[in-house]
Amino acid sequence: MMAKQQYEQLSPEWFQPAPPNVGEQEKINRPSLTFWQDAWLRLRENKAAIVGLVMIIILTLMAIIAPMASDRTYKDQNLRHAKLPPKIPVLEHIHWLPFDGRDANGVDVYKQRGVKEYYWFGTDDLGRDLWVRTWYGTRISLYIGLLAALIDLLIGIAYGGISGYYGGRVDNVMQRIIEILNGIPYLIMVILFILIFEPGIISITLAMVITGWTTMARIVRGQVLKLKNMEYVLAARTLGAPTSRLIFKHLIPNVIGPIIITTMFTIPSAIFTEAFLSFIGLGIRPPEASLGSLVNDGYKSIQTYPHLMIIPAVVISLLILSFNLVADGIRDALDPKMRK
Amino acid sequence: MARYTLQRFVYMIITLFIIATLTFFLMKLLPGSPLQNQEKLTPEQKALILKEYGLDKPVPVQYIQYLGNLLKGDLGVSFQYDNRPVAELISDRIGPSAQLGFQAIVFGTIVGLILGIVAAIRHNHWEDYTATVIAVLGASIPSFVLGGFLQYFIAVKLQWLPVAFWEGFKYTILPTLALSVGVIASIARFMRTEMLEVLSSDYILTARAKGISQAGVIIKHAIRNSLIPVITILGPMTVNLMTGTLVIEKLFAVPGLGEQFVRSIELNDYPVIMGTTLFYSALLILAVFIVDVLYGVVDPRIRLAGGKK
Repeated sequence: MMAKQQYEQLSPEWFQPAPPNVGEQEKINRPSLTFWQDAWLRLRENKAAIVGLVMIIILTLMAIIAPMASDRTYKDQNLRHAKLPPKIPVLEHIHWLPFDGRDANGVDVYKQRGVKEYYWFGTDDLGRDLWVRTWYGTRISLYIGLLAALIDLLIGIAYGGISGYYGGRVDNVMQRIIEILNGIPYLIMVILFILIFEPGIISITLAMVITGWTTMARIVRGQVLKLKNMEYVLAARTLGAPTSRLIFKHLIPNVIGPIIITTMFTIPSAIFTEAFLSFIGLGIRPPEASLGSLVNDGYKSIQTYPHLMIIPAVVISLLILSFNLVADGIRDALDPKMRK
Repeated sequence: MARYTLQRFVYMIITLFIIATLTFFLMKLLPGSPLQNQEKLTPEQKALILKEYGLDKPVPVQYIQYLGNLLKGDLGVSFQYDNRPVAELISDRIGPSAQLGFQAIVFGTIVGLILGIVAAIRHNHWEDYTATVIAVLGASIPSFVLGGFLQYFIAVKLQWLPVAFWEGFKYTILPTLALSVGVIASIARFMRTEMLEVLSSDYILTARAKGISQAGVIIKHAIRNSLIPVITILGPMTVNLMTGTLVIEKLFAVPGLGEQFVRSIELNDYPVIMGTTLFYSALLILAVFIVDVLYGVVDPRIRLAGGKK
């Protein structure tokens, strides 16, 4: 009985269909995010990537500012100040830190030799300031990283884009060339160049120009092959867009995610390769300094002056680590599928 | 399958041929000759020496001879090591390098696989995070830095193991460790990703639904299927190991091929540099060829895509 009464209270008007009111339904309550804003939001949540990003910024600033701010240069020799341990103002009073100007036996070398100046990272066997040399070496590492990224972007994308877009015989020939280039190890390429030119930055750069872009070209080709049959490409072509416009305006922007990820992973591996080459004596030659050659020099006196090896070794490891962390973070941010 | 293998084989030969050709013409471009520092020689003596090295003939003839010698395994003679044949120098030095490489691959693969599998099973637990941190660090710290640190802290400071040289198994532990870290990092990373993907696939769900135990699912279904793509990283890993042995052998004074290679670069001993370069390239290209064929055997999709063309 009760139930029936309740039913009778319900008015049929209540059951009218809601007015269409399309505008209200479609209203977007939050500001819409572009692809980049979305990626940045995801990247920001990745603590490791942010730590890496901050470290890259700090290291880059140091590499730019430190050699300029110091009144010593990377090649100034001062034999009277040779083989000094690190000494940093303020930190010198904290005894468990290795910055108090004492050598492995606990002798204050600065007092013993009457050196008034501070060498923050100490000096090498020719009295060159390791602080300036370390940051100068970091500059070289960063230059190599930047160069590798540029080569990837310029040659890799163009090659992969053309190969994938034209397909058929062009693609076949271009892919065979890549296969042969890939078969020649990078190290071998560098050695061949070093035999013709002098060891140094030019040989490393040239070898990189010839072999460094193949991974990128393969990835771009794969993506372009997939995308070129899409309807929007057909539409653009129907409207009379030239091939170059199709490749650079329509296809490349849609491959931008994999491109950025590949570039980010190229950088640390290029930095590592340069350090490695300099370490075995194929890269930067003295008096110029690279982190790899500094580690190699420091290694010779590891028992008596461990700081000469440890400091550049820590800097190069931090540099590669930060780039790897950021690359991992960007991959996760741009491509949620690949996220852990 | 036969067609696919043949195709890979032809590419291998072409690549080797191109590298050999490049090497030859670069050697021709070099300023040095066997006559250096021997100005006092009479023209007859010079001609005799040139003839001995086969340098009196025109370049194309020399090129053909060079290719012929390569096929016979003759890589020329060293400038620095008393005119000894390069091939002999290489075969003398290959032992320690091969042993180091082998130990590093075996140790690195076992540890890497365990890390990767544990990380995938305990996804988003502390075991996973630990394994990920180890993998990132292992991929980031250069082998020469790691080798130096191992040597300084374990051999010099703690004196647990010998610092350097090559006089028995104890001497191989530190270099193997330094060399295997890169292997551990790449295998652990790859295995973890593969395993996570396999674990979330439908046939694993089916296996679980049929009531197979966790251990059974992991061992019989997940690990076996995750292992297949891991074969692909064996190629790049060979390159890494090769570059790794160069620095590790230098650091630990191991009398291997890498150490000799670095020394011959310092001494500008061109024939040894070129010979070793060719040897390394051939080894690498062979490794890539074997990986390609192996992968074609394991995964039919690859050889079908490759052989159709």
